[in-house]
Amino acid sequence: MATTTLRLYLTCIRNTLHAAMCLQNFPCQEVERHNKPEVELKTSSELLLNPVLICRNEAEKCLIETSINSLRISLKVKQADELENILTKKFLRFLSMRAEAFQVLRRKPVQGYDISFLITNYHCEEMQKQKLIDFIVQFMEDIDKEISELKLSVNTRGRLVATEFLKQFI
Amino acid sequence: MTVTSVHQFAQCITCHAWSSDQSMVAFCPNNNEVHIYRLVEDKWEKVHVLQKHDQVISGIDWSARSNRIVTASHDRNSYVWNLEGSEWVPTLVILRLNRAALCVQWSPKENKFAVGSGAKTVCICYYEQENNWWVSKLIRKRHDSSVTSVSWHPNNILLATTSTDGKCRVFSTFIKGVDAKDSKKSTSSDLKFGELIVQLDLSSSWTFGVKWSPSGNTLAYVGHNSMIYFVDDVGPSPLAQNVVFRDLPLRDVLFVSEKTVIGVGFDCNPMVFAADERGVWGFVRYLAERKTVSSGSRYGSQFSEAFGKFYGQSKQGGSNDAVETSRTRGAVHDNCINSIMPLGEHGILTKRFSTSGLDGRIVLWDLENEQDLLEL
Repeated sequence: MATTTLRLYLTCIRNTLHAAMCLQNFPCQEVERHNKPEVELKTSSELLLNPVLICRNEAEKCLIETSINSLRISLKVKQADELENILTKKFLRFLSMRAEAFQVLRRKPVQGYDISFLITNYHCEEMQKQKLIDFIVQFMEDIDKEISELKLSVNTRGRLVATEFLKQFI
Repeated sequence: MTVTSVHQFAQCITCHAWSSDQSMVAFCPNNNEVHIYRLVEDKWEKVHVLQKHDQVISGIDWSARSNRIVTASHDRNSYVWNLEGSEWVPTLVILRLNRAALCVQWSPKENKFAVGSGAKTVCICYYEQENNWWVSKLIRKRHDSSVTSVSWHPNNILLATTSTDGKCRVFSTFIKGVDAKDSKKSTSSDLKFGELIVQLDLSSSWTFGVKWSPSGNTLAYVGHNSMIYFVDDVGPSPLAQNVVFRDLPLRDVLFVSEKTVIGVGFDCNPMVFAADERGVWGFVRYLAERKTVSSGSRYGSQFSEAFGKFYGQSKQGGSNDAVETSRTRGAVHDNCINSIMPLGEHGILTKRFSTSGLDGRIVLWDLENEQDLLEL
């Protein structure tokens, strides 16, 4: 059952991204000879569109903010317990530190979210839009799996260590 | 087939323009240069590279009779290029802009051109004989945001603009000494320079791609909310029609006749709009067949794999692979189409036009073989 709701959640995000990713080259209106992602600067309110928040439940949500030349996607990943919390934090920090390798990853997540992507018109010019969306959706799908696998291995390792340690008392 | 030729010129094209006989095309390959190609024995050959700007070029227009090219760039400048011998010689235009120039168009008589800018102004430029340069007069204080496109009315006086503040405006650009007073058309030439004739506030989002119909009776422009607007009787009491369509927003439009409009945009496939005998506009169909490939998505790969996929395939080129999950793209262009230009003799309506887009292709279209569209 969980997979069906996940599928719906991801389809919703996919369709929203498809509609939102209509970006174009747009030079800055405020500063001469600059060209900056408007969604980050937020200097001219008319260049921003209404943000869309898609929630699967309280713990899992996705915020899509769009402007004329850039798009920001922020994700909140499910964290059921403290272990998942710390694993998510460490893992996403690891990815964020390598943000330039991913091109569309933002170095710092937006406040209140675990990880953020920033897509500009330049990304849309050199990459195919559909593949970009596929990448984001694939990422969201894999992150849950990755975290639960990490959690499992931590638990297994903990059990092993505990067994080894307690053996001396037998 | 409507498509007569497809040519991949560059990785990405921001704008293009044709010489009057369509033997040469000028385009900007998303950098600070203009490349001019000539068709020699069915092959395109690069004949000139115009280098003077230092940021990406946002607009090109090639005047048909005087054979001059005007370019506008994000570096705030505009140049008029004259062909002297075999060289294109640039003349700087004193735009007096402090933000990027976004669009440019020659007036029908080719004695003026208009530049829309990110400084929320429009420059009307004309040639000053005594100083031997192009000077500009600014229309200030009317736009609340960047001017995204400009279009000249056939009478050489009226100018329509669209802006990211969601409005479409029509101005008078009568300049003393440049435009002759015409007693017959007193309505348009009595107006002072920069006078706002009408402000259309139809769209709730950014507007782009304004065009006049060949007779100048109808005005069409698009909004980013997937709407196209048609305005008749531009003046004190305009008649507006809004047409909503299902797909992604448009970027530019072109009138192929009084009653037929082609729209291009983020959907990568030109759309045809037409007015019926009562003058009611509506969406007709897509110009190219739509190829919808939706194979079941393949799930369950690891991060490293997704990362590899992202690298390998989101770049253009290596496209055909099993991982392609869903694809609803136009058959001819595979990225946003951002400009559409008419082909054919200057001033004469043709059923031929060209489109260029972020996929770096210039596609030539011909509606002659489309029976259902010719009857419109």
